[in-house]
Amino acid sequence: MTPQGFEEIPHTADVALRVWGQDLTELFINAARGLAWLMADPETVHLGKEVALDLRAPDVETLLVTWLGELIYLNERDGVVFTEFDLEEVTPTHLRGTARGGRAGEVRHFVKAATFSGLAIRATERGLETTITFDV
Amino acid sequence: MVEKKNFRRVDKFIWELPKETRPDMRVPARIFATPEMLDSAFRDRTVEQLVNTTTLPGILKYALAMPDFHEGYGFPIGGVAAMDVKTGVISPGGVGYDINCGVRLLASHLEKEEVAPYLRDLTNALYRACPSGVGEPGRIRISGRELDELVVEGVKWALKRGQARPEDLAHTEEEGTLPGADPSKVSARARERGGGQIGSLGAGNHFLEIDVVEEIYDPEVARAFGLRENQIVVQIHCGSRGFGHQICDDYVKSLQTAIQKYGITIPDRELVCAPIDSPEGRAYYGAMACAVNYAFVNRQVLAMGVREAFRDVLQGKVSNFDLYQVYDVAHNIAKFEEHEIDGKRVRVCVHRKGATRAFGPGRPEVPKAYRDVGQPVLVPGSMGTESYVLVGTGRAMEIAFGSTCHGAGRVMSRSQALKKIWGADLKRELEEQGLVIRAGSTKGLAEEAPAAYKDVSQVVEVVHGAGLARKVARLRPLAVIKG
Repeated sequence: MTPQGFEEIPHTADVALRVWGQDLTELFINAARGLAWLMADPETVHLGKEVALDLRAPDVETLLVTWLGELIYLNERDGVVFTEFDLEEVTPTHLRGTARGGRAGEVRHFVKAATFSGLAIRATERGLETTITFDV
Repeated sequence: MVEKKNFRRVDKFIWELPKETRPDMRVPARIFATPEMLDSAFRDRTVEQLVNTTTLPGILKYALAMPDFHEGYGFPIGGVAAMDVKTGVISPGGVGYDINCGVRLLASHLEKEEVAPYLRDLTNALYRACPSGVGEPGRIRISGRELDELVVEGVKWALKRGQARPEDLAHTEEEGTLPGADPSKVSARARERGGGQIGSLGAGNHFLEIDVVEEIYDPEVARAFGLRENQIVVQIHCGSRGFGHQICDDYVKSLQTAIQKYGITIPDRELVCAPIDSPEGRAYYGAMACAVNYAFVNRQVLAMGVREAFRDVLQGKVSNFDLYQVYDVAHNIAKFEEHEIDGKRVRVCVHRKGATRAFGPGRPEVPKAYRDVGQPVLVPGSMGTESYVLVGTGRAMEIAFGSTCHGAGRVMSRSQALKKIWGADLKRELEEQGLVIRAGSTKGLAEEAPAAYKDVSQVVEVVHGAGLARKVARLRPLAVIKG
């Protein structure tokens, strides 16, 4: 069972997540939680590392890919899976906040990248929603 | 919505979707498949992604899907498209994140029975010599100017460092060096990721395998490739690691603004692109070529690790433990090539995403030793199943820009595989069949289970039947190493 805020949807070769949230901040946090869930069992992550992030992009989808790409890069560099997020500001072109994480006891996937494949953030009844395909 | 009835059969294994099917198509789409395989193209987004590919500016003749097709991102996997160099575009989504993911085949002088008593020791030695899995550093760590030299020179750099033999270069696509690499177009982050991973397999579907040549279909070509029945050979499947992933990621993001600048409309943002003849297009090609060369060196350094492991385990026990290189092929790449289109020689940029170059006899790009017969094509099967060595054909030059399939092609998602297959059970099952397995994770093993893939033999039958390549030899795995 996946926690509320994202769910896996079928993809033949890679992994795709449908993500939703009431606003951009919640959508971005749920997308990051979904990424963590793909990478490892979040229950087994020992929190110990905190990073401050300040990211800019020309549009909201590129900002989402940049945000997830940053977490993927830090995962490969430091072996850290980020599971807790405190985002002070999320606009369509700017994100500022902190991510907390640590090494995971149970690793699931090595995620290569968050892609733009079919990526579009849409307004729905439950706020905002999008589908993200990850290359694994 | 495109349906099967929209396709017309132009040959036994070729199905064409006319360009009138969707208003934004510039050329028709073609799928190489049996009727049953074609049905499977509608079970995921393969057809939609192939049609999207036909909309790219400058695409020539048709967008193609090889019979191992499945849904990817941007192009479908198994996708091939050739772009006019003057009017066409280059797209990172037509190459993928694992730039120059590819396969290398090494052949031994040994028979299966000579290796059998040492197979477990050999597998353990290979596991130690060839780092695999998430976060494992490579056999070599470099940075700064030396990394720049490596990505420009490719396998020539490895030769200088004592990590290659001259004959390894001759038997590598592009002789292990794609021209036009420009390290100034590679980000600091890609360099940082790449510096410590040279000589590592990585995770996912990458593997190292000890195989036996189980059957020869074409003795003359097999002889030219140095292959014979019952011979022990080794396959290495991996790519450009974090270096390539970062380069693709950087350019998929940065080119999002280039499409606006050049007024290009695309149906999927992962198909982002830039004119080949533009500063942005040249920058991507220069960086991509760096990753191509990085991947050639990665497989080269691993090949030296494999040779070391064979020496360490077999020295004094067999007469000749040496391994020679049959060939090394890329299957995620964009390259400039000349092809005959409508009776004229045309310079094009061929994108192959999950597809292999398969040049026929006589082409100057084919190594001298193989030029009379054609290029070796290496088609690994799924884990535990057979792999094939094929040879490129003149027919592939006519109908597919000298391209063919790259593997079996997935049919089952990773989560489906995990639900249906228990990694530990699969490992036991494969071991009961006599296969030696060293894997970092049993879950990773389950995701790559044979049931998650098409039957590689069926894929190869389509390739052979359509004339995209001809069967030369079938390999059966004896030992598998996975991250």
